[in-house]
Amino acid sequence: MSVVARIIEARAARRQKTLIAFNAATLRLGGKTIIENLDLEVRPGEFLCIVGASGCGKTTALRLAAGLYRPTSGAVTFDGEEITEPRREVAIVFQDYGKALLPWRTAAGNISLALEASRVPARERSARIEALLRKVGLPGHADKYPTEMSGGMQQRLQIARCLAQEPTTLLMDEPFGALDAMTRQGLQDEVLSLTQASQTTVVFVTHDLDEAIYLGDRVVGLLPHPGRIGIELDVDLPRPRDQLATREHPEFLRLRRQLFDFIKASEH
Amino acid sequence: MNRAAILWRVASILVAAGFIAAWQLIANLHLVSPVFLPGPDRAWAALVRGFSSGDLASKLFGTLEHMAYGWLAASIAGIALGALIGSSRMMRAYVAPSLEFLRPLPVSAIIPVAIAMLGLTQGMALFVIAFGAIWPIMLATIHGFAAVEPRLYEVARSLQMSRAAIIGKIALPSALPDILAGMRLSLTVALILSVVCEILAGLDGLGQWVLLSARAFRSADLFAGVILLGATGYLTSIAVSLVEQRLLAWQAAAR
Ligand SMILES: Nc1ncnc2c1ncn2[C@@H]1O[C@H](COP(=O)(O)OP(=O)(O)OP(=O)(O)O)[C@@H](O)[C@H]1O
Ligand SMILES: [Mg+2]
Repeated sequence: MSVVARIIEARAARRQKTLIAFNAATLRLGGKTIIENLDLEVRPGEFLCIVGASGCGKTTALRLAAGLYRPTSGAVTFDGEEITEPRREVAIVFQDYGKALLPWRTAAGNISLALEASRVPARERSARIEALLRKVGLPGHADKYPTEMSGGMQQRLQIARCLAQEPTTLLMDEPFGALDAMTRQGLQDEVLSLTQASQTTVVFVTHDLDEAIYLGDRVVGLLPHPGRIGIELDVDLPRPRDQLATREHPEFLRLRRQLFDFIKASEH
Repeated sequence: MNRAAILWRVASILVAAGFIAAWQLIANLHLVSPVFLPGPDRAWAALVRGFSSGDLASKLFGTLEHMAYGWLAASIAGIALGALIGSSRMMRAYVAPSLEFLRPLPVSAIIPVAIAMLGLTQGMALFVIAFGAIWPIMLATIHGFAAVEPRLYEVARSLQMSRAAIIGKIALPSALPDILAGMRLSLTVALILSVVCEILAGLDGLGQWVLLSARAFRSADLFAGVILLGATGYLTSIAVSLVEQRLLAWQAAAR
């Protein structure tokens, strides 16, 4: 076997491994079953999108993966280990960036929070902060308070803080849901380029089907009451993705149609 | 400062000047007997005399000392207790009803109790002032800690921050605007109770000065003391406001 073939095979094997696994995970909150018998595997390095009608349990599933909730029965594991608490290598990007940032800290201070938590020495912080701000397209905004920034800038800042954790996995809950279309597309491409280069695993919740297909390697659709998997699609679209070409690709349109029909059916 | 702000400032100075002029006029026309009401001229003279003899300055320092110790004790205890109660839903549920019972209790009602237990001492004054001044601070702190955005605690959890870091970097700064507002309110309470304690227990301070002046019918000295008390309340409140503005500069950015 040639070296190249072996590398390809090794890569394929690694891809098949699972990073986060839901094993018959069930969650009851306040006497209501919100997630039932959820089986889902997230592979290392993949970009997984979760879609579904409003209230079907997307956020809840993400919170289980984050360790913010623990399943009532079944298990959720990270690298084979049961998740009991949030861990530093898993970063969460919340939809409500306005609430997830510290209003009394500047942009630099907000990023610093993550560095302080990982015990990065004080003298290394400012260089790291500057690099992170540049990475998310906010150079020169270090001294701004979150309230002085637009929604898109605030979400960029939250992403920068998450990257400061140096996560291997990013959990994103409708991160661009509150942003306008143009800002949204810009951020989609930025998240793709930030995560593809570092092979970061991403679980991305959205209610925007186009966004899910555009970003994902795989799209999972949840069914409501209680939340469980209804559809699973592999997205075979070439990377790097392109806002125009990808969205006009016949495969994109086919997947879009399939997801659309699924969501429509799941609402009845 | 913009134009409107300057106009308001000028207007407020004019009003103050008007009050003083009216006061002088009433005194000059002997509308009230000079035994009870000195004019601003005599009050000012008494103020200058009091300070040059050194007597008034030491009384002023006495009052400032009572006020400062009582207020600081109230602040430390109020913030600590408020944080403890405010950060736990269970504590809030158990303790809040007792607080609601204790809070409207006039502090003057506990003065006899304090005197009976501690005597006419500095310790009694410290206790009474701190007890009265603790409420605004503690209640504001409880509110501030209870109102911390839950999302921020989740951010802290996902960063695996320590308990101490969560309190110091998330809860306290988030509650700070409430805490400072409470501290500003309790400053006035501390001043009032300082004077009351000085009068009741004969402790060195402006309260005692005012009482003795009144007993001796030295109305000019009496007014000098009252003016000084007013100035103390005003200036300490401004000082706290300045600190507040500095610490809460981030809030100005939000507006
Ligand atoms: N803490 C809770 N206690 C009780 N019920 C809850 C709780 N959190 C969520 N739910 C319920 O669980 C269901 C799923 O909620 P979840 O927030 O996960 O939905 P979602 O798919 O993220 O919806 P959306 O698209 O609107 O964000 C909803 O019906 C919601 O009312
Ligand atoms: Mg949601």
